[in-house]
Amino acid sequence: METTQTSKAVITIRNLYKRFGDNAVLNGFNMDLYEGENLVIMGKSGSGKSVMIKCLIGLEEHDSGSINVMGQNIDDLDADQLDELRTEIGFLFQGSALYDSMSVRENLEFPLRRHTKKFGRIHDAEPLVLEALESVGLAKAIDLMPDELSGGMKRRIALARTLILKPSIILYDEPTTGLDPITSKEIVQLMQKVQELYKTSSIIITHDVDCARAIANRMILLIDGKNYAEGSFETLQNNMDPKIQAFFK
Amino acid sequence: MKSILIEIGELSYFAGRFFREAFKRPFEYREFLRQCYNMGNRSFLLVGITGFIIGLVFTLQSRPTLQEFGAVSWMPSMVGISIIREIGPIITALICAGRIGSGIGAELGSMRVTEQIDAMDVSGTNPFKYLVVTRILATTLMLPILVVLSDAIALYGSYLVENLKGDVSFQLYFNEVFGSLEFGDVVPSTIKSFFFGFAIGLVGCFKGYTCGKGTEGVGRAANAAVVYTSMVLFILDFLAVLVSDIFYDL
Amino acid sequence: MKEKSNTQKLKLGIFVIAGLVLFIIGVYLIGNQQSMFGSTIRLYASFQNINGLKTGNNVRFSGLTIGTVKSIDMLNDSMLIVGMAIDKSSATHIHKGATAAIGTDGLVGNMIINIIAGKNQTTTVEEGDTLTSFRKLNTDEMLSTLNVTNENAALLTADLLKITRAINAGQGPFATLINDKAAAADISQALQNFRQTSYAALKIMQHTDQLVLSLNDSKGLVGLAKDSTTSNHIRNVAANLDKTSNNLNVAVKDLQLTINEIRNGKGTLNYLVNDTSLAIKVDTTMGKLDMTLDQLHEAGIKLNENLEALKHNFLFRGYFKKLEKEKAKVTGNR
Repeated sequence: METTQTSKAVITIRNLYKRFGDNAVLNGFNMDLYEGENLVIMGKSGSGKSVMIKCLIGLEEHDSGSINVMGQNIDDLDADQLDELRTEIGFLFQGSALYDSMSVRENLEFPLRRHTKKFGRIHDAEPLVLEALESVGLAKAIDLMPDELSGGMKRRIALARTLILKPSIILYDEPTTGLDPITSKEIVQLMQKVQELYKTSSIIITHDVDCARAIANRMILLIDGKNYAEGSFETLQNNMDPKIQAFFK
Repeated sequence: MKSILIEIGELSYFAGRFFREAFKRPFEYREFLRQCYNMGNRSFLLVGITGFIIGLVFTLQSRPTLQEFGAVSWMPSMVGISIIREIGPIITALICAGRIGSGIGAELGSMRVTEQIDAMDVSGTNPFKYLVVTRILATTLMLPILVVLSDAIALYGSYLVENLKGDVSFQLYFNEVFGSLEFGDVVPSTIKSFFFGFAIGLVGCFKGYTCGKGTEGVGRAANAAVVYTSMVLFILDFLAVLVSDIFYDL
Repeated sequence: MKEKSNTQKLKLGIFVIAGLVLFIIGVYLIGNQQSMFGSTIRLYASFQNINGLKTGNNVRFSGLTIGTVKSIDMLNDSMLIVGMAIDKSSATHIHKGATAAIGTDGLVGNMIINIIAGKNQTTTVEEGDTLTSFRKLNTDEMLSTLNVTNENAALLTADLLKITRAINAGQGPFATLINDKAAAADISQALQNFRQTSYAALKIMQHTDQLVLSLNDSKGLVGLAKDSTTSNHIRNVAANLDKTSNNLNVAVKDLQLTINEIRNGKGTLNYLVNDTSLAIKVDTTMGKLDMTLDQLHEAGIKLNENLEALKHNFLFRGYFKKLEKEKAKVTGNR
């Protein structure tokens, strides 16, 4: 596989183990993310996909193995360095995770409050906020509160909040769950647009086959805490392994 | 039993983390002020009404007994001491445990469940500082103020009853109240109020912040916040009485 | 957005300031009551027993609260020094002779120190002065004293009851005095006798007077004096008379004393009630008095006899006849 990639790896995961009590969620997971690609990770619910990307960004601590993000081993980073690294990584949460008590504008301004190193101190966040909102096509929603938004709008606002820091890597945690097929399609299109616009590398965690088909440059199937199979969407779809076929039915 | 000990251990760890984080920069002023407003001003009406009714009822209830002894003139000092020393702080704290504690528990719980806390973390804001430290500080500082206001309103309610039933002037009533009070009454109850506020914030945040998965977890967090806070409040109150008794003897 | 958060801040500010102001007012009022603010001077007083006085208790001067107890130090096993903070303006009215006493505020109230104005009204107290202390009875002591008084009263009434019972039952001399009609009659009789006797005595005196006068005037005096039997007789009579009147004098004095004592009630009641010997004495006095009176009576009779005999003596016959004539003349003139 690596021979087909000309660009360098931005994220490298080796032998990742994570267990919650008796439940071994990750069992020696290996993964590489190359610059500019859309990597789709598919797996059943509870197969450890979300845990994996949370480990990746330091929200969960892994038990053993190594995670290397943009040349830095995240185990070696202190809180400040980790924060700095996180400005380079956008994270789109499953349920959008907009702050309920804040308006859309405040939600978007929030990441700017602390991630000042990348932009310096920001005195007027308005242009950045508007730019991010326009990139998801929701500039008019700037003064609404999250509970006034539909699910699809929330997802887009959440994406805008992720984009406002202009990250080089975006992690999508189930970007289309809980959305109707049409909205899902809109979101996927938006993701592709963002990819072109910001030249990001992305990891997309999903079990939505349509989404995977539309966006994946490469796929990893996560089964029992391991990368069970790897390859392009077509390669895996044509694989006769019943465990793999189960995903595409 | 073991789970209770684990819970206490986790709570202590959580409290320790609060103290470590509270003194680290940056301090989230805006969120702190917002929480102060939410907890202070927004609780005032509830606390005020409760205090007023407590003052009213307390006076109405104890008046006949004192009348039997012909000691109605002791009413202001008795009401004053009991409200300032005990009833004001504990009632206000319990009301706030119900309103603020459950609010914090539910809010942080739902933020945890919907990954808002994670989102904050990713956004470079320490959610512990932003959410927990500000809330605990806000309750710690706002509760004593609420207690003072509630005390004042309760005493006013008591004065109204006294005035209607016994024709006592405002000045005489409050002279009697403050004449019977000593710093030994006010200082411990004020210190106690700070601890009550701290307990409400701490337990509420702890329950919310460490909330389990799902909407059920949120409900449980809110509920547990109130129950545990009330329990902790009574334990603290008991300890406060013990400690202030010791200091009173010195 | 900005405006909203500003009004929030404003409201929060009002809220916090309201709370703080109320708190400060409360603290100030309490402090005022405890004279913690404003200028005070320190006065001291030493006590043997402070009866549970505590720091923070009030100090009163003429019933006005003017300060609080600030310190209590044990000097030795029988001396406690109490330091008081006194409001400066009130302290100008306290003079050096003032005394400090520990008392209670009401029957079961707090302990307080009462400062009582003294006699020395010249100089006012100064910082650090020690007031003389006055140990006022506390409730405990008061009650115990009252208890003793009560016990005494109980004993007294019991005794009194005994006495009145005894009197009613007719025991003891006093009772006799009160209840015995015969004794009363005796006394009254004795007094009557006495009156009679004294009247008789008076008469005798008059007679003797006249006799002596007439003897002086009479020419037959020499002859009479020469008659030794008669002169002896007269001498006897005079001596008897002297003795009788002396006895009478003593008896009258005795009686006077007794009556006076009874009238003045100077412990006499007590004596009469408790002292049987006195009663006996009174009795015997009465007896003696009776006897004396009897003797006197007898003496009077004897004297009369003597005089009668003298009348019949030829030497005096003429005198007595003349006396009778004069008497008749007097009565005839009337």
